[in-house]
Amino acid sequence: MTGCNEYKLNQGPEDSISAVKFSPSTAQFLLVSSWDCTVRLFDVGGNTMRMKYQHTAPVLDCAFYDPTHSWSGGLDAHLKTHDLNTDQDTIVGTHDAPIRCVEYCPEVNVMVTGSWDRSVRLWDPRTPCNAGTFTQPDKVYTLSVAGDRLIVGTAGRRVLVWDLRNMGYVQQRRESSLKYQTRCIRAFPNKQGYVLSSIEGRVAVEYLDPSQEVQKKKYAFKCHRLKEEGIEQVYPVNAISFHSIHNTFATGGSDGFVNIWDPFNKKRLCQFHRYPTSIASLAFSNDGTMLAIASSYMHEKGDISHPEDAIFIRQVTDAETKPKST
Amino acid sequence: MSTMAEGGDVDWELSKENIQPLRRGRDISALHQALSQREEGPTSAVNQQKQMFESELRMYDGDDPLSVWDRYIKWTEQTFPQGGKESNLSTLLERAVTRFTDEKMYHNDPRYVELWIKFAENCPEPLDIYRYMQAQGIGVTQASLYIAWSEEYENQGNYQKADLVYQEAFKKCAEPHDRLLQFHKALQARVSRQVFLKLENGSSDEEPKQPERVSLAHLKHRGKKKAIAPVNRTGTAIKRVTGGLQTHGVPVLGNVSNSQLLIFDENKAEAAGPSEPTLEPWVAPPTSRAKENEQNPAKWCDVKMPQKTKFGHAVMPPPPPKPTFQPFVEESDQPPTMTPCKINPAVNSVLSARKPRTEETPLKRLQEQQHKKAEAGKLQEQSMYCKELLLSGATEFCFEELRAEHFFKKMAQESQKAGGEGCQAAAAAAAAN
Repeated sequence: MTGCNEYKLNQGPEDSISAVKFSPSTAQFLLVSSWDCTVRLFDVGGNTMRMKYQHTAPVLDCAFYDPTHSWSGGLDAHLKTHDLNTDQDTIVGTHDAPIRCVEYCPEVNVMVTGSWDRSVRLWDPRTPCNAGTFTQPDKVYTLSVAGDRLIVGTAGRRVLVWDLRNMGYVQQRRESSLKYQTRCIRAFPNKQGYVLSSIEGRVAVEYLDPSQEVQKKKYAFKCHRLKEEGIEQVYPVNAISFHSIHNTFATGGSDGFVNIWDPFNKKRLCQFHRYPTSIASLAFSNDGTMLAIASSYMHEKGDISHPEDAIFIRQVTDAETKPKST
Repeated sequence: MSTMAEGGDVDWELSKENIQPLRRGRDISALHQALSQREEGPTSAVNQQKQMFESELRMYDGDDPLSVWDRYIKWTEQTFPQGGKESNLSTLLERAVTRFTDEKMYHNDPRYVELWIKFAENCPEPLDIYRYMQAQGIGVTQASLYIAWSEEYENQGNYQKADLVYQEAFKKCAEPHDRLLQFHKALQARVSRQVFLKLENGSSDEEPKQPERVSLAHLKHRGKKKAIAPVNRTGTAIKRVTGGLQTHGVPVLGNVSNSQLLIFDENKAEAAGPSEPTLEPWVAPPTSRAKENEQNPAKWCDVKMPQKTKFGHAVMPPPPPKPTFQPFVEESDQPPTMTPCKINPAVNSVLSARKPRTEETPLKRLQEQQHKKAEAGKLQEQSMYCKELLLSGATEFCFEELRAEHFFKKMAQESQKAGGEGCQAAAAAAAAN
């Protein structure tokens, strides 16, 4: 089922995959965090695992600080940084509850973590040390960085926009425009807005500028739903990844499908074949030539038997990712 | 030590208005703790405890799931003495009562009935809830239902119905019987005293009086997040009057009509109008009452009232003529410089007028829930995840949280097992020696 433009990575994680992230400088390296308590670095071109390090509990997210340093956190609430050259671990700090998200903001040069302890913490990656704790109204489920702004999605369908240069107050407090739990938020590479996906087959495109004419442009649409015998099966939309050049984005759902969308013309550009199980995470490479697809059961329906976890690397073309000019 | 105690006492003295009364009373240490952190909002310890209850709700696999809800709700009452939205109490109560409506084994469980009564007291129309309970057969053999129901009628001044509720209770042989008798006697004593007082006073109150503050009345709270008692404590700010001299549960001794031993009652609750002496059965959901005085947001400045002439039709005043001269402006006069604004004012435009919402009472939701269950067969949409588990508590969970709880549980079991094995090995070694 895998064609010439797609292959499966060898030596993948032994349990569910929580996140895949490409290196900021090259499409050669991919960082993968997993419920098997490891973070792995893959050489995508050579299809080999280059390195792997351990946490004491399942890892929920990871991120590159620079091409040689990875950061990761998970159920053990420890934030770790790992030197990929020397294979050295450092525990930078902790949260009071498991760490759900780890991101890097290059504009402000700060690492951002979000946790179920209802806080976002900033970390100076050079020292490395804690650079502030910021209480959120509820458990943090997802976060994304847009330039110097931080968009935080919490339980209770709340969305908060922070200014990373001035964390003294919340810049905007919003409610998700979708009716159900927020699964993922990712910012547009052009920093003008973000895309939010919900647990019930829906995706919203939102803009940061609060002026009325810009806000009028926001919209939401249904996706990742399958009709079976007259019943519409609605799947969670777990993953979003933006194409850094075209500002188009891919969504992955628990139905095992990956769709690529053109947010400007409100069109679906393409849909790939169905993957063995839920899409847990997606990542475009920084040059936009490759898409890493983590197909991994996320226990949406409890602890039941499920297909094997796998990471697929797919070469994508402009025809699949570029908005059709009208 | 004494100073600490004093400080604590002062704290609680100063916050009396913001403590919701509880039938069971409050734990003083929990109250002190709750009041001391009222300013900063819930601490991480409180959040942690809450998360523990939430995960217990979802992880519980014993045969008494109600016990977790019962403990969680009691903890919430003690931890958030001011009530309000922040405590999530009404959501919790609603979820708890709806969850077990189909569980026949709980229908006459005193804990479950107690939850229903608390839920009813949190609703705008408690009587509807009691009738609904009766129709569903929940708590029909529990004295506490009838006592709460009767008290509600009494608070509304409908003594006849308050008494009828007790008749119904006796017919159903509600338990415990002596408690029922005691409360019934107390009700009769109160009613006869009221009647007597009314006779005594005659109809002297003809002109409307200035609203007076009523002692020991329940105040309606203000504020969405944190419930704060209102400044104005008369008239509409009062939710209901209980307590005072009409203490519940204390049977009045002796002959009540003894005029020499008249007890002054400042509240002098008037008996309400006539009522048909039958308990109407549950038929249909109550119609939502349209809200009065609901105004659409509009600009208030620059509004001109239409002026009326002697002849009754509106006349607009002519616009003032433009001045024919140039008003003098001092040359050095500069437009005032804007002081830097900390909060970006543009952000405010994100706020929009609240959309008119269909009136939704908790009871309606209860019935919808049942409706949904009945219609589950012909459902058009199906959620492909464990929706029930994620949304069952007062706050939502995500898959990862649920899975993490399972992981932690497994870890705890394993470490316990390892510990147990270690002990056994040590014991074996000791035995060998």
